[in-house]
Amino acid sequence: MSDIKQASIAAFELLLSGDQTIWEIISLSFSVSLSAIAIASPLALILAFFLAFFQFPLRRALIALFNTFMSVPAVVIGLTLYLLLSRSGPLGELKLLFTDKAMIIGQILLSFPLLVAMAHAAFQAADRRAWETAITLGAKPWRAFFTLMFEVRFGLIAAVVAGFGRVIAEIGCSMMVGGNILHATRNIPTAIALETSKGEFAQGIALGVVLLIMSLSLNAGISLFQGKGELRT
Amino acid sequence: MSGLIDYQGIKISLSGKLILDIDHLAVKAHQCTLVTGQNGSGKTTLFKIMSGLLRPDSIQVDYQGLQMSWKQAKPLLQRDIIYLHQQPYLFDASVADNVAYGLYRRGESKNSVQKKVCQALDWANLSHLAQRHAKQLSGGEKQRVALTRARILAPSLLLLDEPTASMDNEAKQQTAHLLQRLKEEGVCVVISSHESHTVDHLADHHLCIEHGKITVIEPVKKSAKVAVLNHAKNTL
Repeated sequence: MSDIKQASIAAFELLLSGDQTIWEIISLSFSVSLSAIAIASPLALILAFFLAFFQFPLRRALIALFNTFMSVPAVVIGLTLYLLLSRSGPLGELKLLFTDKAMIIGQILLSFPLLVAMAHAAFQAADRRAWETAITLGAKPWRAFFTLMFEVRFGLIAAVVAGFGRVIAEIGCSMMVGGNILHATRNIPTAIALETSKGEFAQGIALGVVLLIMSLSLNAGISLFQGKGELRT
Repeated sequence: MSGLIDYQGIKISLSGKLILDIDHLAVKAHQCTLVTGQNGSGKTTLFKIMSGLLRPDSIQVDYQGLQMSWKQAKPLLQRDIIYLHQQPYLFDASVADNVAYGLYRRGESKNSVQKKVCQALDWANLSHLAQRHAKQLSGGEKQRVALTRARILAPSLLLLDEPTASMDNEAKQQTAHLLQRLKEEGVCVVISSHESHTVDHLADHHLCIEHGKITVIEPVKKSAKVAVLNHAKNTL
């Protein structure tokens, strides 16, 4: 018990002292995950909209596929990407393995199905009259799409936050394609795993606290935002 | 009275069932047409096709002196014709923002939009609701805001799907009054209704749809309009 107490005190000291290594890990984690979500979200939202509003061949199959991929373990995505990016793989010449770019690609692949599935549910729950009203009032289709996005913004924000939550905390894919290299590809989850395996709990706890604070802040932000919406309706 | 738009050979099937099969439908300028028919007869489907929102299996459109296919007509129909749902959809914004929506889509300046929105709300006696959130309005208020939002764009044709359905008598009266004023302004209106007496007196023509086909097209006699108007006054 006293070990945990000591480790926790050391963890807060690490965070508050501005330890360069720990803040570098935090910074890399956020930069990789935010990049992945920023790249994946626009395409996922457009695809989700088409799946919800238009009929086309293989539509149902695509929805089933994305729902299935939502639960694929991160390590499986990591393994697939590793095989593709490794020197003998088809994309080996790109020399992306063990770089932050590979981690971003991995996290895009991880978050994309979740973003599509959740945004699809949000668009499906949208009132079809919103789209028709925007069009009949003279909006071009892309403008009507933005109007519709605004109407279902709570569902879409929840989708983006869930996607971010999945990738910021995943370890399997980042470990396999990033390699957990200090000052290059070490992010919060891989650092926690490494430090814990070495018996160095302070850094692990410090990084865990950062993830916990981030999670609490996101949830509080969403609740506040949704609360404002409920008041107005 | 000159023709505004002609639709020919309207056909649409859903799940293999023929929903609409209309040989010819002409809408005359500055006229009010009443479309009646039972629920499921195809009124809403017809309105959505007429306004370019729903693609039919086949159609020919004669508009602005040109014979057009669906592909050519669709952008013009969406630009010039406004369709109002039975329960109009108001965006998650204030009443003023809702009324301004179409004007901004036309690229009008903020000053011009604000001026027009004030005038339009004043016209509909809705100025007191300008800053109210649209989702908080009653059914009758929503219908009047939607009518104002449509009128501000000066459409060639206004399609109103059951505009007084599920309203109390006072809201029906207020909506009918706005429709009367739209008609007096020369706005071409097509109204679907299965409730007689509320909007019948506005109609110049009556058109009946049964099982996706137009069965009756007739001008409404003045004497009949007066009788309906008197009945409406007594009811309200």
